[in-house]
Amino acid sequence: MTSITPTATPAPTLSVRDLRVGSPFNELLHSISFDIAAGERVGLIGESGSGKSLTATSVMGLLPETLTATGSVRLNGVDADLLTAPDRNLNQLRGNTMAMVFQEPMTALNPLMRVGAQVAEIMTVHHTVKGRRQARERAVELLTQVKLPNPREAALAFPHQLSGGQRQRVMLAMAMANDPQLLLCDEPTTALDVTVQAEVLGLIGKLVTDRGTSLLLITHDIAVVAEVCQRVLVMYQGNIVEDGPVGRVLTAPQHPYTQKLIAASDLSSVDDRGRLHTMSMPVVATPVVSTAETSPRRMPTDAAALPLSPAHRAAHQRIEADDAPVIFNEVTGTPAIRVRDLSRQYRRRGGSVFTTAPIVHGLREVSFDVAEGQRFGIVGESGSGKSTLMRILCALDQPTSGLVDVLGQPIKGASERQLRNFRSQVQIVFQDPMGSLDPRMKVRDIVAEPLRHVDRAEARARVEAQLAAVGLDADVMDRHPHQFSGGQRQRISIARALITRPRVLVADEAVSALDVSVRAQVLNLLADLVDEYQLTLVFVSHDLGVIRHLCDTVAVISDGRIVECGPTGDVYDRPLHPYTRQLVSATPSMDELARRVTA
Amino acid sequence: MVLVVLRRIGVFATTVVVASIVTFLMLSILPGNAARIALGVQATEADVAAQTTAMGLDRPAVVRYLDWFGHVLIGDFGTSTVSRQPIGPEITDALGITVILVLTSVVLALLFAIPFGVLTAVRQRKPDGAILSGISQIGVAVPGFLAGMLLVTVFAVTLRWLPAGGWVDPGDDFAGFLEHLILPAIALGSVQGAVLSRYVRSSVLEVMREDFIRTARAKGLGAGRALFRHGLRNAAVPVMTVLGLQIATLLVGAVVIERVFSIPGLGSLLLDKVALRDLPAVQGIVLVLVVFVLALNFLVDLAFTLIDPRLRSAS
Repeated sequence: MTSITPTATPAPTLSVRDLRVGSPFNELLHSISFDIAAGERVGLIGESGSGKSLTATSVMGLLPETLTATGSVRLNGVDADLLTAPDRNLNQLRGNTMAMVFQEPMTALNPLMRVGAQVAEIMTVHHTVKGRRQARERAVELLTQVKLPNPREAALAFPHQLSGGQRQRVMLAMAMANDPQLLLCDEPTTALDVTVQAEVLGLIGKLVTDRGTSLLLITHDIAVVAEVCQRVLVMYQGNIVEDGPVGRVLTAPQHPYTQKLIAASDLSSVDDRGRLHTMSMPVVATPVVSTAETSPRRMPTDAAALPLSPAHRAAHQRIEADDAPVIFNEVTGTPAIRVRDLSRQYRRRGGSVFTTAPIVHGLREVSFDVAEGQRFGIVGESGSGKSTLMRILCALDQPTSGLVDVLGQPIKGASERQLRNFRSQVQIVFQDPMGSLDPRMKVRDIVAEPLRHVDRAEARARVEAQLAAVGLDADVMDRHPHQFSGGQRQRISIARALITRPRVLVADEAVSALDVSVRAQVLNLLADLVDEYQLTLVFVSHDLGVIRHLCDTVAVISDGRIVECGPTGDVYDRPLHPYTRQLVSATPSMDELARRVTA
Repeated sequence: MVLVVLRRIGVFATTVVVASIVTFLMLSILPGNAARIALGVQATEADVAAQTTAMGLDRPAVVRYLDWFGHVLIGDFGTSTVSRQPIGPEITDALGITVILVLTSVVLALLFAIPFGVLTAVRQRKPDGAILSGISQIGVAVPGFLAGMLLVTVFAVTLRWLPAGGWVDPGDDFAGFLEHLILPAIALGSVQGAVLSRYVRSSVLEVMREDFIRTARAKGLGAGRALFRHGLRNAAVPVMTVLGLQIATLLVGAVVIERVFSIPGLGSLLLDKVALRDLPAVQGIVLVLVVFVLALNFLVDLAFTLIDPRLRSAS
């Protein structure tokens, strides 16, 4: 299954041969072989469970105790086979000859230790500098090299005092401290905002190129590989199925899996029904229209195929430099959602008796409309206020000031009793389908829970119909959430949201936790259901690509304000606000990527 | 940092005041007139009335509370209705003994729990780890008074190495003091130690799965060094929480252990005074016990702040 690219240099930095990893019961990696030449930047892509992280942990010799590896892993200049070498020898290599950067920089750093000390430690452990003092000095230098602002003060900070991007820079400083031959990065930017991601990737690329370090970059995101790497390995179910230059793999993938992966990643390429290309995976079933008497608002069967003709087209506007209030996407007549001068302030916890707590502005004077039947995207980075806005639209939070009106129901000051009807009309799908489903409830109870005043038999019938509508068989009803994959769980969440026949569906990062192939399926499902049930969709995401595909209108939110709003295509192609431009350039389309790589 | 400590002190002082009010109220709403109780069943109504005035019980509750708590603040716990002697010195003497006993047993418990818990965690998959873990499970199940009686049977009655009970003041005879302290402290600390070692074990197991331990390994630290330098302090945080919660249990245990070893501590004093229906004394002892628990919790809170920088910033 594997193809080994012959390298021009005599001795590759890393040479992996016939690597198999497994437990006594099953094999997870099936005979992986690849080389990385000196200074070569190689990407390793694949979906969750494909074995890409196992490959890296095998190289580092950090596999969990329950797994065993066979085959050989060799580093240039090291006599021993890393798989069989004693831990003592590996300790000398780890952090010195080879170093690793992990995904989640918050948990990967010791929360009780100053970051400067953590960077210094990797040098004192390997005695690459003389004494602690010098290590500390060198740590500050390294923090300067990874462009951390105020490196001297930053060295004294604890991890929780830094932002996600800053923490990842610290990790990078640590990994590069002893000038390793090989740098392994496991999803280094997945936890970061898109604009920060672009900066950190640029930094990784620059550091390894300047020093001639070999790089193995693991990611699920083909755009990340295209940004940094020269060569890419594609993993699927424990095998490397494709190995080639990034440009070639991106434009002319050979293996059927790679072809499908790239098609599914491409949110701008759709079929003649306006749906994304999906990979044939066992979970898929085309949505089945639910049976008659259970769906009072049912559409004709072929409604999904009808092109949606939005009655309302948004004006393309941006916030003005003088901060004059703008009403974005103003709708004549009665909109589904009307928001005027909405502000939400938080008092930060822990104000003492002597000082008042500082006030944090979650949202500042936000005004917009969403027309009935519109697919409204809200895009922004972490801390932008998009989640606050979503929570207020769902009446899960209260505005500090301003007017919020959803389906004619004012949110401000409404009691839970007044909101009872509202709750069935406005439903939410959350990001993490594992965390938002009660692990002790059966699927049937989860999906039926929003129903009120419905007898058991009817509830059962409706649950069954709803599960069918999201492409799940009726026999899943008696199972628990942990027995499903991420995509299936998100289908269950969608079924639960739709069972009350809501008019407004709010989705909060609903596909962000999913693999690309599953993401395409869930996005198609959402598009089908929105058409079928004539839903007004509010889709909150950090991912401009997803929003562009699914939504007709998008609002870009930054620092508690909407900075730009308009028809998705217009905003994407001709961004008015500098922040939007930055966002757009940080999330290139597949075409754009291919252009960049081949150029 | 200073601000955080000041705030914790403020919280501590407030809790003490609230505790004093609750203590006062609980004992004054008990059925029965304190004056009648003090005089016994033979007293006439006139005697009771005179006694009520003498004890100041005819004043409003607020005045009585302020009078009592105000005096407590300057170390005056009032006069015993039985012995007619001031209660303060009695309480202070007994408190000193209980503090020594409790703190020694906490230290013993930690000295046992930390190495034992870490060992059972590290050796989790090995047979010896399982055996050690089983031992601590048994320790959890043994009540303190039983441990005390077993210790007395073995070390005092059979082997005659240590005294079976009583108390010697450290100022009088330090060796004798240690001899008398050892068995009760072990009896009181062993159960706590066993319980704590379970928490140390699970906390260490948890920490060993953390990403930053993996980072430490990736930096080239060996497994033991990674655990020692990065794991233990992080593992200490949840253990401290449990320790704080256990302090109250420890005092209850002290009451029992003092009885078993006939040690004149606060627990023994409390039981004596309850038997004598000496209400002012009971009230004072209860307050001291409550403040003792609060003070230990305050210290645990401070220790938290020292260990975890995330708790240090005022905002």
